[in-house]
Amino acid sequence: MYPSRFRYEAPHTVAEAIRLLAAGGDNAKVLAGGQSLVPLMKLRFAAPELVVDINNLPGLSYHRADPDGTLRIGALCRHADLERSALLAGTQPTMAAAAPLIADPIVRNRGTLVGSLCHADPQGDWASVVLSLGGSVVAEGPDGRRSIPMTDFVTGPFQNLLAPDEIAVEAVIPAAQGERRGGYLKLERRVGDFATVGVAVSLETAGEVVRRAGIALTGVGASTIAASAAAAALTGHSLTAESIAAAASAAAEAARPRTDHRGSAEYKRHMVATFVERILTRCSAEPAERAA
Amino acid sequence: MKVTLTVNGTEYARDVEPRLLLIHLLRDELGLTGSHWGCDTSNCGACVVWLDDTPVKSCTVLAVMADGHRVLTVEGLANGASLDPVQQGFAHCHGLQCGFCTPGMMLTARWLLNNNPHPSSYQVREAISGQVCRCTGYENIVKAVLWAAEYEAGG
Amino acid sequence: MAQIAAQRYTGASIRRSEDPRLLTGRGRYVDDIKLPGMLHAAFVRSPLAHARVLSVDVCAARALPGVVAAFTGADLEAMTVPGPDALSTLMGAAGPTPEFTLLATDKVRFAGDPVAVVIAESRYLAEDGCELVEVDYDELPPVASADFALDPGSPPLFANLGDNIARSRSRNEFGDIAATFAGADRVYDFRIDVHRHQNVPMEGRGCVASYDPDLGVLTMHAATQSVHVAKIAVTMRLGMEPDKVRVLAGDIGGSFGLKIGASREELATAAASRALGRPVKWVEDRTENLTASGQAREESFNVRAAVSNDGDLLGLDVTMVIDTGSYPGMGGMVPAIIEAMLPGPYKLAALGFESVGVTTNKAPYVAYRGPWASETFVRERVLDLIAKDLGLDPLEIRLRNAAPRTDPPAVMLTGRPLAGVTTRESLERVAKLADIPAFRRRQAQARAQGRYLGIGVATFIEAAPGPRSPEGASGPMGSESMRLRLDEDGFVVLFTGQMPHGQSHQTTLAQIAADEFGVPFEQVRVVVGDTDVVPFGLTGGSRSATMTGGVTLHGARRLKAKVLDFASHLMEVSAMDLQITDGNVGVRGDPASAVAVSEIARQAASGEFGADVDARLEVEAVFDGGEGGWSGGSHCAVVEVDVETGIVTVERYVAVEDCGVLINPAVVEGQIRGGVAQGIGAVLLERSAYDADGNFQSATFMDYLLPTACDVPRIEIEHLQTVPLDADVNFRGVGEGGMIVAPPTIVNAIEDALSPFGVRIYEQHLPPARILELIATAGSAQPSGSAQPGRSAQPGGR
Repeated sequence: MYPSRFRYEAPHTVAEAIRLLAAGGDNAKVLAGGQSLVPLMKLRFAAPELVVDINNLPGLSYHRADPDGTLRIGALCRHADLERSALLAGTQPTMAAAAPLIADPIVRNRGTLVGSLCHADPQGDWASVVLSLGGSVVAEGPDGRRSIPMTDFVTGPFQNLLAPDEIAVEAVIPAAQGERRGGYLKLERRVGDFATVGVAVSLETAGEVVRRAGIALTGVGASTIAASAAAAALTGHSLTAESIAAAASAAAEAARPRTDHRGSAEYKRHMVATFVERILTRCSAEPAERAA
Repeated sequence: MKVTLTVNGTEYARDVEPRLLLIHLLRDELGLTGSHWGCDTSNCGACVVWLDDTPVKSCTVLAVMADGHRVLTVEGLANGASLDPVQQGFAHCHGLQCGFCTPGMMLTARWLLNNNPHPSSYQVREAISGQVCRCTGYENIVKAVLWAAEYEAGG
Repeated sequence: MAQIAAQRYTGASIRRSEDPRLLTGRGRYVDDIKLPGMLHAAFVRSPLAHARVLSVDVCAARALPGVVAAFTGADLEAMTVPGPDALSTLMGAAGPTPEFTLLATDKVRFAGDPVAVVIAESRYLAEDGCELVEVDYDELPPVASADFALDPGSPPLFANLGDNIARSRSRNEFGDIAATFAGADRVYDFRIDVHRHQNVPMEGRGCVASYDPDLGVLTMHAATQSVHVAKIAVTMRLGMEPDKVRVLAGDIGGSFGLKIGASREELATAAASRALGRPVKWVEDRTENLTASGQAREESFNVRAAVSNDGDLLGLDVTMVIDTGSYPGMGGMVPAIIEAMLPGPYKLAALGFESVGVTTNKAPYVAYRGPWASETFVRERVLDLIAKDLGLDPLEIRLRNAAPRTDPPAVMLTGRPLAGVTTRESLERVAKLADIPAFRRRQAQARAQGRYLGIGVATFIEAAPGPRSPEGASGPMGSESMRLRLDEDGFVVLFTGQMPHGQSHQTTLAQIAADEFGVPFEQVRVVVGDTDVVPFGLTGGSRSATMTGGVTLHGARRLKAKVLDFASHLMEVSAMDLQITDGNVGVRGDPASAVAVSEIARQAASGEFGADVDARLEVEAVFDGGEGGWSGGSHCAVVEVDVETGIVTVERYVAVEDCGVLINPAVVEGQIRGGVAQGIGAVLLERSAYDADGNFQSATFMDYLLPTACDVPRIEIEHLQTVPLDADVNFRGVGEGGMIVAPPTIVNAIEDALSPFGVRIYEQHLPPARILELIATAGSAQPSGSAQPGRSAQPGGR
């Protein structure tokens, strides 16, 4: 199946892109890596009148750390850049674990993290990861830039908080208060499969004590779920069999899975608990910033 | 829209609809039918070509997005009459049956060997895991890529 | 070994002559064909599983710039000759044939049933046109399961059938069922289900139909397993004389049974081309391929097994229901083959077999690699279930029941002699290669660490071609024809009705011909894919190794005799003293006498010979399969099951195969590996899933999951020394065996891994979620084994 007709623009500045989007209104779509949008257009599930291709915008393919440790990921940073990143491998265990699990190796060459956040697919992996890390999205519109916390950014399945004339230019992961531990596990029946269940766990620890915890769930609700109670079960505690079990069961409780051909709701809930437990058990056994 | 791109070292200019997919520009407009269409959802990889220096699924790239870029397809893999070692490896190891997925597999394999000249069989499997072969069970594809790696190492 | 004049090529892994074009992007698949003035077709398909079609309005589509035509079902019926599905007719389906229209007319019968076709200047425009076609439906209750289809109250899909029984219930008995079951120590009852899955070649269906109004000739470029079967379908449906239809085929991107003949959409495309007087291309996209090209399997088996306390399988009494979907196609022939094959290589005293086929609101039924494979799944599953219950080793119960190799051979209960079958040998060998005792030690250690490994063994035989019955007039696969010619350029040209789509015939047949005739391999040309020049034939059913390999051998021998006969006139030497080696005819022992075969052919073409000299260096050969024989083997898999996630990893896979004399070992092993990969996919990933309303759940590759390189292990293969049966031809088919035996091998291994939980498995599709359900419900499985009077009750299936 092939896409319907649309108008296409490939601006060279963010300002021009914003003007084009403003003129295009609700029927305009931003195209970055295109690995979600183009298939939807081929199936004619999406039929925008205007496609604004941002691949020609300069200076957006970065991912870098500020001196204070804040991580910034530009709108054109591809999954593969993150997968092969020495920076993430040393400092961001949850992201480093997730990067090789996104889609498949060829799709990763093209798709972007920021695009994945904007797409707001409940089965998208990055949204959970960024949510667990307490991250945010920087949007740029006619009135300048604003920062939207990930907790607010996704408003529903395939819906985000961006105004029609705004572009997400950057994702931001705040600096850690302590040492990072964490991981991402995804139940995919096969490479390239959407997550039946995904679990992102991001911890910041001081010695054995968890100072900040973030746990977020992929594929078990109408949108990405922040398992706050599960995170709370860890904060201020060390990782023990008891705290791990409490977090796992709280995360399972936070899940809102539906029975479908990937598995029953019960199975998915069980997988949430299993993955939370697996990641935390590994975190407790391994030195900081190494857990997967 | 006007699109100018370099495919296998030759520059082409065409006027296309924005909705035209890169795979169709290559196949239908340029007559380079070695790359194939295999699915609607970017899962099968029969359409893999290089866009500049990386393999992409050309069914998921608009032709207009390739404007000003370089594309490498299976037709550009051989160096004149001399087959690329990856092509030789596929012939040597019976790495193909119906041949439909083969061009995409070879383009990914070429990229892998450029970036990792001595991959393990597991790394080969991982590299091609976004591409589907329905005939071979993959083993001979893996052997073919490893054969090419060894050949290039002078083995 | 086969008695071939030379063995320079046959038996060697000769590099394929297909590869140079395919490796450089110069293959020519049907979608690569671009004809002047060519139009493109796209189909409007039903979103509903079952509905009356009240109206189809194509006016808006026709008005769209770029759209050349739009046809409804009624239009196409007026443009063609009504009649049944040509394939069902060819297969000799018994009973009333369901109505068969190219597009839906009064009703749609599955979600994806084509309702209208739009023809436009490009596929993009044709799809734009499809969006403008308005169809009014009156929804009917969907028949989404075989159980409901068997209910006389279910709404019939086909008015002319009156109910949803596509293949009426029949029962056959072999041996004394009553006595066997009465005398058995134990009787087990199992219900075993095989799920719906499908071929999914990387290239879907497609054709370019090109009608020349001046000549009145339709040329169809097809992707088909048989150009002649496709031609028959076209001539029947379009009402054309055979000499006005030509079907051509080039490279084909796989099929696995899907592309036999010409499908409804392809016939509609041909009809559109004739109506418009322009070439029309239709190549299905993946959604169409998954939704509408066809699906296979979906069978349930109620199995009663009569068993002795020692583990002798004495009798089986099986009731089978097959869900043949909306258009039964090949489905009608499946039960009879399953019945014939059910005893397998085992000594069985009695078999009862009852079957019924139903129509449901699902995609049409097609053949898929080893269409009868469920006979092996059922038998090999049942043996493991019984072995577990009796505390026997799975290998032991198979060796105990396998028929010994005797002279004369044991005869299957259903009639075929088990001539040359090497089941015991392959079982023993695969067990040795897998080193089962060492595995058991490793398994015990792993379990102590909470890891669950399992090993599974299964064995199969395949009638490829099957043994000649003592009273059989012709071989079990009928006959295969070939035309062979020596051309003036010295090439031996083979014209075959085989239509390779990955099987490497252009290489393997050339190997045989080169050896038998005496030319270099490169001096043989294999011509396929043109109804004007090739004899009737079909690639399928694992027939080409024996049947086409055999006719090549005999044909090359005849052609050689003819060439030598002619050369003897030319060279004034007795033909007895002449030989052909390396492309030259010469007197034995006198290398100086050598004359190139091309020179002989040129002389023959000069035509300056008397009537007594036959200078036509061409022969036609027919081969009936000779003594035939079985291919078969035993496979062994080692799996690990993650009991927390349900994910199964196939750690090791070993195959011991006996497919007779290998023509090209690399090609043989490629076929085995590809089949095994499909079998692994069927168990772990692939399912053509419908919901309760008949909505298709697997319409893209996001939901119909094919195995990737990370899901298929290395597959170790060893070949057994075969038992030759025929004086010349002992090549046996190997196309389907991997797909037949891999599913029970994998399922047996999974059940073994889960044995600490008491899991028993009665189904074939085991995705992660299902594995955990099996663990959770293990132990609560309903014992349904009936106690024989005076004997203790035995647990059985559910």
